[in-house]
Amino acid sequence: MIVRYEHWGAWVKLERTPALVALDRDGVRALGLDGGRAWDDVAPVRKSAPLEVHVAVTQRCAAGCEGCYLDATPDGAEPPRAQLERTLDDLARRGVFTVAFGGGEPTLRDDLGDLADYARARGLTPVVTTSGLGLGPAKLARLERFAQVNVSYDGPAEAYEAVRGFDGASAAERAIEALAARGVNVGVNVVLTRATFDRLHATLARARALGACEAQLLRYKPAGRAVSLDYRAKRLTLEQAKRLGPLLREIVGLRVRIDCALVPFLSADPDLAARPEDLAQWGIFGCEAGAALSATTVDGAPLPCSFARGLDAASFGAFVAHPPEPCASCTLRPVCRGGCKVVAQHLTGTFVPDPECPRVRGA
Amino acid sequence: MKKENVRVIRLGHGANCSSIGSVIDTLFVTAAVGGAIFAALCAAMQDEPVRVIEPEEEDEE
Repeated sequence: MIVRYEHWGAWVKLERTPALVALDRDGVRALGLDGGRAWDDVAPVRKSAPLEVHVAVTQRCAAGCEGCYLDATPDGAEPPRAQLERTLDDLARRGVFTVAFGGGEPTLRDDLGDLADYARARGLTPVVTTSGLGLGPAKLARLERFAQVNVSYDGPAEAYEAVRGFDGASAAERAIEALAARGVNVGVNVVLTRATFDRLHATLARARALGACEAQLLRYKPAGRAVSLDYRAKRLTLEQAKRLGPLLREIVGLRVRIDCALVPFLSADPDLAARPEDLAQWGIFGCEAGAALSATTVDGAPLPCSFARGLDAASFGAFVAHPPEPCASCTLRPVCRGGCKVVAQHLTGTFVPDPECPRVRGA
Repeated sequence: MKKENVRVIRLGHGANCSSIGSVIDTLFVTAAVGGAIFAALCAAMQDEPVRVIEPEEEDEE
């Protein structure tokens, strides 16, 4: 296991049982370890490194998804391998645990497998997201070198097309099946929109039948090509947002993740809203931009998260520290952190309580 | 190792490239199942060889 001391204790990354555990100082001592220099001062002497960094390895992609957050195109920019290796060196030096390759379509890079090996050799855990389009034997072999591969899959046929504007469901399904058959840990990324929300059970049942072991549910976000009037027609309705908690309870047979931007919707669930300590203990947090999470663009520039371009860091920090009502009195405030700042900026031009949060919409 | 010494547990790798994800199933399991997960993680922490990493200083933003 890998231990990274923090002023409050340490992050412990287990290798055989994939998990990250944050221990306080007594917990670390119980393992026979001591934080030494990191524990010398009562107050933190340094900012913690992210746990996970998302690296855009290409802006090339032929899929043309209507809501692509990176605005990827077939002739998009692609960083040279040396630049990406420097980025990985830097992340390893900073003590980052996981690097998630994305794009664009990462499998368009012939050196993708080598980059995964490069990351592993530096103690980073490489994972990747793919559309699953055009995966032949050579690309599948490269993907075997990742700890986990997620395939973008918004549902069978019409559900997929409703999100992405073309029917790529069959290709995604073939990819899930082929990766699972090769023994790869394969998950699916499901974007929750007005069209996919009510079909989620069928989507997950299909993914599970194809061999997926995990589903990551994603909120539709106004970034890249999704910044359009169409955004308001595709985002979840208030009623759907309120039903997220009950919907999650009904899912069986597949490990499910929700993304940081969906956490504010849990405020509409009385049981979950009363259990912020449980959410924190199980690592269920809202906005982690610039904290546990960061990202790098195809140019190698750092971002707080893949969607957050041009956010003012000082205003961002001030909002998270002292959000106004209805966030200020919300039981989930310590974990939610005011909701998705990218959505708030898009809809209002500034940092305000997440305008799509059911609690905010009901205030 | 006591339960109160564990501040946060993040299960699995996750492989999304655009936003960070959290396993939600654990919120809905019984206390016994949650306890079993906790016990398995504690056992793994006692069992796996330790490698300490010492990050370089982060720039304040």
